[in-house]
Amino acid sequence: MSTSPDVVALMLADARLPTGGHAQSGGLEAAVRAGLADEGRRLGDVAAYARDRLRTLVRVEAGTAVVARALTLAGGSPRDVEPAWAARTPSQELRAVSRRQGRAWLRLAGRVWPATLEHLPADTEVPRAVVVGVVGAVTGLDAAQVARLVAYDDAQTVVAASLKLLPVDPVEAAGWLAGLHDDMERLVADVAGLSRPDDLPADGAPYVDALAQQHATERMRLFHA
Amino acid sequence: MPDTRSFRLGVAGPVGTGKSSLIATVCRTLAGELELGVVTNDIYTDEDARFLRSEGVLDADRIRAVETGACPHTAIRDDVTPNLIAVETLEADHAPLDVVLVESGGDNLTATFSPALVDAQVFVLDVAGGGDVARKGGPGIARADLLVVNKTDLAPYVGVDVPRMVADAAAARAGRPVLALSRQDPESVARLADWVRGLVAEARAGRHTPVDPGPMAPHTHRPGHDHDHAH
Repeated sequence: MSTSPDVVALMLADARLPTGGHAQSGGLEAAVRAGLADEGRRLGDVAAYARDRLRTLVRVEAGTAVVARALTLAGGSPRDVEPAWAARTPSQELRAVSRRQGRAWLRLAGRVWPATLEHLPADTEVPRAVVVGVVGAVTGLDAAQVARLVAYDDAQTVVAASLKLLPVDPVEAAGWLAGLHDDMERLVADVAGLSRPDDLPADGAPYVDALAQQHATERMRLFHA
Repeated sequence: MPDTRSFRLGVAGPVGTGKSSLIATVCRTLAGELELGVVTNDIYTDEDARFLRSEGVLDADRIRAVETGACPHTAIRDDVTPNLIAVETLEADHAPLDVVLVESGGDNLTATFSPALVDAQVFVLDVAGGGDVARKGGPGIARADLLVVNKTDLAPYVGVDVPRMVADAAAARAGRPVLALSRQDPESVARLADWVRGLVAEARAGRHTPVDPGPMAPHTHRPGHDHDHAH
């Protein structure tokens, strides 16, 4: 079976891929509850929120995936990047969410691209970014494709969740996503060259972390995070 | 496959037909003889999980809630990943479980479980939803392993003829079982428990073959239409 990295990148970015993406909002649900978008009167907040994530915590995620890919290709353990990732992901709830998502990704990747399991143990809670990096390595994605996938998926997660949480025209939401391309490509350019765990950026968004902690104990919620 | 694999029974049906209540009834009746666990799929809260915990029918840790991102249909059919992980975690934490009941978020008549998630499924209607619902059909009504017509005690108040509704359902199901159920009617509760017991026994004996009700409503073709799929 031959594999086209370009098609793999499209598959991995497609929300129809069964990895539980429908239960994620990228923290938007908690942010909306805290007043983002002012109950629909300030919808532009959603795009700004997705942009701010691209400029902060998504850089850590994308960098982690890029480093995990590099470690895999160099014959090392992709999990060597995990402590550096955890040190830059202060919310224990966000770490747990990432590990739960990583397990979902691993479940898929282990069956569709079995070589993934030569580098990671099956059915284990590994940070999602690490799994994405390994899948990228075994399917031939380059570092920029891996970084772009993480960036796009995060922004699309936020924008798609906004349709469930706020009075949003879906076409307008697609426009927000199109307006974020420059931010995505800047992120790609900044992290694609990383290869060592120590190189990971340490950008953070403390309020997003705090909201994630609150969300985990919130009763009225649509999204896991 | 992990050796903690339980028999997984889905419970689907429209909002408010009594899925949580049916699961509470099954747990109350069978918890003494089978090791049970429950995974709920709530639309907006963990209300169902809380209801079941408050009923005290099972140890609270045997009842887990899964978020559906407002997509209850997706969560049980198109992408069962979060549910499968919840079921397997529950099975591992309380091994060995005999049965895990998976409650769908109340959806519409077309929502059925993926065969990747459950081994058998119950579809629940109630008399208060209208006597004609069974006649309308749909994959769950026509092909779930069991169709329950719930809340029969309410029939006099909502003007529904229960035998007629059950007969309509039976006609739509080509011989598959239909059960008229009321929590107030111990005989009907006993029949439900017997059905679950029988199914688990069949599964243990290796005689249960999962059947997918499928996402498609029954349909017909014009004369001369050539096709190779099964109906």
